[in-house]
Amino acid sequence: MTGTAAIEAAALGKRFGRRGGWALRDCAFRLPAGRVCAVVGPNGAGKSTLLALAAGLLAPSEGEITVLGGRPGAARERVSYVAQDKPLYPQLTVAETLRMGADLNTDRWDASVAERVVADGDLNPKSNIRALSGGQRTRVALALALAKRPELLLLDEPMADLDPLARHQMMGLLMAQAAESGTTIVMSSHVLAELEDSCDHLLLVDGGQVRIAGEIDELLAAHRRVSAPADTVLDAHTVVESRTTGRQLTALIRPLAPLAADWQTGTPTLEELVLSYLRNPQAPTTKTPETVA
Amino acid sequence: MTTLATAPTARPRPARAWRAVVRLHRPALVFWALFVALVSAVLLWAYGPGGNAAAAAWRRPCTVDLCDVGYAVDFYHLAYRFCEALITFLPVLVALWAGSMLIGRELENGTAELAWSQSVSPARWLLAKLAVPAALLTAGTTLLVLLHRLLFDAHQVPKGWNWSDSGTFEANGPIAVAYPLLGLALGALAGLIAHRAVRGLIGGLLANATATTLIGLAGPHLVPWRIGVGDLKEGYAAPSGVVHGGEGAVTSAGAHIPDPCTGAGKACPAAHDIVGYYSEYHPSSQFWPLQLTETALILAVTALATAAAFTLLRRRTS
Repeated sequence: MTGTAAIEAAALGKRFGRRGGWALRDCAFRLPAGRVCAVVGPNGAGKSTLLALAAGLLAPSEGEITVLGGRPGAARERVSYVAQDKPLYPQLTVAETLRMGADLNTDRWDASVAERVVADGDLNPKSNIRALSGGQRTRVALALALAKRPELLLLDEPMADLDPLARHQMMGLLMAQAAESGTTIVMSSHVLAELEDSCDHLLLVDGGQVRIAGEIDELLAAHRRVSAPADTVLDAHTVVESRTTGRQLTALIRPLAPLAADWQTGTPTLEELVLSYLRNPQAPTTKTPETVA
Repeated sequence: MTTLATAPTARPRPARAWRAVVRLHRPALVFWALFVALVSAVLLWAYGPGGNAAAAAWRRPCTVDLCDVGYAVDFYHLAYRFCEALITFLPVLVALWAGSMLIGRELENGTAELAWSQSVSPARWLLAKLAVPAALLTAGTTLLVLLHRLLFDAHQVPKGWNWSDSGTFEANGPIAVAYPLLGLALGALAGLIAHRAVRGLIGGLLANATATTLIGLAGPHLVPWRIGVGDLKEGYAAPSGVVHGGEGAVTSAGAHIPDPCTGAGKACPAAHDIVGYYSEYHPSSQFWPLQLTETALILAVTALATAAAFTLLRRRTS
């Protein structure tokens, strides 16, 4: 696919403070437009930094990031971002918060979208932000993000403080948005299960680098879980992880040649795939062709 | 059809960040309106009924035993001193507020990032955050200065109020308009550096105190001093009702030196070849040069602080 990329990063790095450690280093990937992308990785992997860079809230220390074909700052009108702790002005009411959204946006702002999102959550427009629960705050933050009618929606841990029902409603809201408007959605989480069912694209961030990037289906299809005798040599393939228990070798590989007929093979689950990469930091980076920046 | 409906046909209306600033800082706006109303009311009272009563009391002839001018004159003096104290203290309040509520708290809570992830760039956000209060402060302080000048020019009680008194001097001209703007810029800069409300508050306070002290010390020296010279018998010869500068002794060669004879005997001046004393001062005719140079200095520091704030913000964000 040669269409525009929603996000494109090349040699992207960010460090905090002159002597601080690198939160991100040497990141290169390309996220095609129109995807619903899960950004997963352990705590402190650099997911939030990556999203804040894409939202134009941080300046990269090195390298480049392009959002919707331009500088992140230039795409501000077309990008929505919801930070992890859902910051809102505590002194305002829900209705005032939405009016503030209208003030801070151009006429792309669609007040009816914001009102609908808030009304669907049974939120009283007159209640104070201070008095809202975590789930209600998330809903108001999403109302601000969706009323901008973004082309790219960046959500940092959107589901973290929601109960299962609210999580389900919120995901429905987002998927409807993606389907209706073709919005590219990027969501981060350290809990893969939260995102697995809704996303079609995966970005695994670990240790400040992008380890896996690609369509989830393609990634799964490109890997095999194999069980073979312990003395099997896997050199012909890219080995992500291999373990020997007794006379049995189990491995997760990216096959580069036909597999031997006597091996037991299967397609890994997404969780197995992600965990194998996380357990093996030395495993090579995997990117499907359309995600190579 | 859907693409037609969503395609922007004209340049979109820009965001109106100033409205968000007004919405967010309504308590400060109300406080400022009350502040201006209170000080204006007291100044107008002193100009009208208070001043008339004081003037009448002042003109009342003294009895044989005492000159009791009554409370009217005291109230009159108290009224304008109160206003001058508030006008002088205002920059401190502004710096405290700008460091904490205006900037520091927004960065601490992440609500600044909420604003930047709408359609307002960090630079435009800061511009609105500074421009709205600056405009309202300028309007308010200009009104207060004009009222104060009206009162001072009427001068209903001839004694006890001098143009060179520090609060009076400030409140009579553009210095009183410029200092709150300096407080605003320094507070905002402190808030941006501190990233926290309380630290921004303390930083704003310290930066403002340092800057105003230094400017206050430098200000009178930016206008050439008049020099009054008295001989040994006259001593120091500055007229009264002036801004005082340095003073010292004059030698027979005309050199100005620090007086080596303070508290010493009568033989001391001759022993040090001292023939008189000099004192530097600014007469009241120097009012405008003093006001304008100090205002220019304040605004220059304000501009530097503002430029520093924008540079800092631009380096942090993209």
